[in-house]
Amino acid sequence: MTTEGKDTGPKTVERPAGFAILQIVLIPVIAALNYVTGVIINILKLPLFMDTWATMFGTIVAGIWVGAAGGFLYNIIMAFTLWGLPAWVWGFINIFIALITWVLWRVGWVTVKSPLKLVLAGIIIGVLNVIPVTIINWGVFGLLPTYAGTAWIYAAVLASTGSAWTASIISSIIAEIPDKVISLILAAIVASRMPARFTLRPPKV
Amino acid sequence: MSSTAFGILKSGYVARDTFVHRLDGRTKFLFFLWISIFNYLFYDLYVTIASFAVVMFLAFVAHIQKFVITILVIIVLPIVLLGIGIIGGPFGFAQNRTTIAAVQLFGFTIGLYLEGTIYVSVWTSRLAVTITAALLAYLTTHPSDLAAIMLKSKLPYKFAYAFLATIQLIPILTNEITTIYQAQVSRGLNVQANLIDRFKSIIVLLIPLTLGAINQTQIRAIALESRGFSAPVKKVMLRDPKLKLSDYVVMTMIVVMTGVFIYLIWTRGLVPFMVGIKYVRPGG
Repeated sequence: MTTEGKDTGPKTVERPAGFAILQIVLIPVIAALNYVTGVIINILKLPLFMDTWATMFGTIVAGIWVGAAGGFLYNIIMAFTLWGLPAWVWGFINIFIALITWVLWRVGWVTVKSPLKLVLAGIIIGVLNVIPVTIINWGVFGLLPTYAGTAWIYAAVLASTGSAWTASIISSIIAEIPDKVISLILAAIVASRMPARFTLRPPKV
Repeated sequence: MSSTAFGILKSGYVARDTFVHRLDGRTKFLFFLWISIFNYLFYDLYVTIASFAVVMFLAFVAHIQKFVITILVIIVLPIVLLGIGIIGGPFGFAQNRTTIAAVQLFGFTIGLYLEGTIYVSVWTSRLAVTITAALLAYLTTHPSDLAAIMLKSKLPYKFAYAFLATIQLIPILTNEITTIYQAQVSRGLNVQANLIDRFKSIIVLLIPLTLGAINQTQIRAIALESRGFSAPVKKVMLRDPKLKLSDYVVMTMIVVMTGVFIYLIWTRGLVPFMVGIKYVRPGG
């Protein structure tokens, strides 16, 4: 299996026996990591969600299917427990993020060796992610302000435009871009620290 | 999300012997799906409040009301307060026409509007109903029954494994992050530092957590294979849940109420009981 890096980071290794089962076992780990990151955010009192970083990480180290399935599963668990049924549709956000992360990784933008490209990749993910986020906010939350951190922006835009759509889109952009940039940087850093024997990424063709 | 909410998910199944617990998991998940779908169809506060009363009554019957109320306070209450303050308030929600209350402040009139307040109340009570129904199904169904139900519902056993393994992993990783956090604090990690330093702290917490979790996947994979996880044979279940009379009674009630709801929609539309309130599309 190939990875970038000469002296540090993951190296080329043989595809381990039981590759498929390792991927299946990794899916719940990705879902649980997304979840537990919430605990860390809570401990550190950070104004972000960060509940998609493990999806990005799973995509980087094990491929798009592991990242997408782990992220989707995280949302299924949350929908069937704390968030209520309609929230399962957030799972599509995780699939969307896994897809974009995979594309950007394929073109070589998701690497700690090019910090500028990495930040740009995070911005691209954040901007593109506003589209499905707004659609879900519309269908599940009626475009209500759901995040206290950007509620004042929502109120200001609503007051100046009278449009809940515009208010929701702008407050999403403000929340999504820093969240996704930091999530992607984190995913890339943790992936770069992975010993080669744990990397399950399919080789780049 | 607060640590209380995580505590509830960590605790998982709440062992009691109540009517709700004795129902088959399939019945509870059917009820959860059914009440969620109909709540999102109607734009009527009376319907959602009645639905909420039903699910809260069942939560009391199942003795899980404390968990449910905690979750609702954490998740739904902030959205209610933000929503009524902004959408129901003087920030220009397009549907606002009727003033419920108004105060004069520094020469400005600050009003609370009926249309915006109803809009927020309907959407947030929908959320409250679906969250309560979800918790009702999740907290009263044993994890082994969940797995058996998934397999009986013809879901792939790999999906059932992934679902249950995630529920098992969450408390394990939550405990591990506590240990890692304590170790890092003893090495000088400052969680009261400025914002930049707190962002840097994520890395020192997540790298050991992630590497530890990935390391365990190898052990889990070996353990699963030693039990024939990938073997091309029909999988068997430890538990074999069966529908009982009470399940059939609940399902019959669901069918009857579905008929009533369809009749209401057919004859009175999506706002059957609220007089003088028009249907408002999402976003106004």
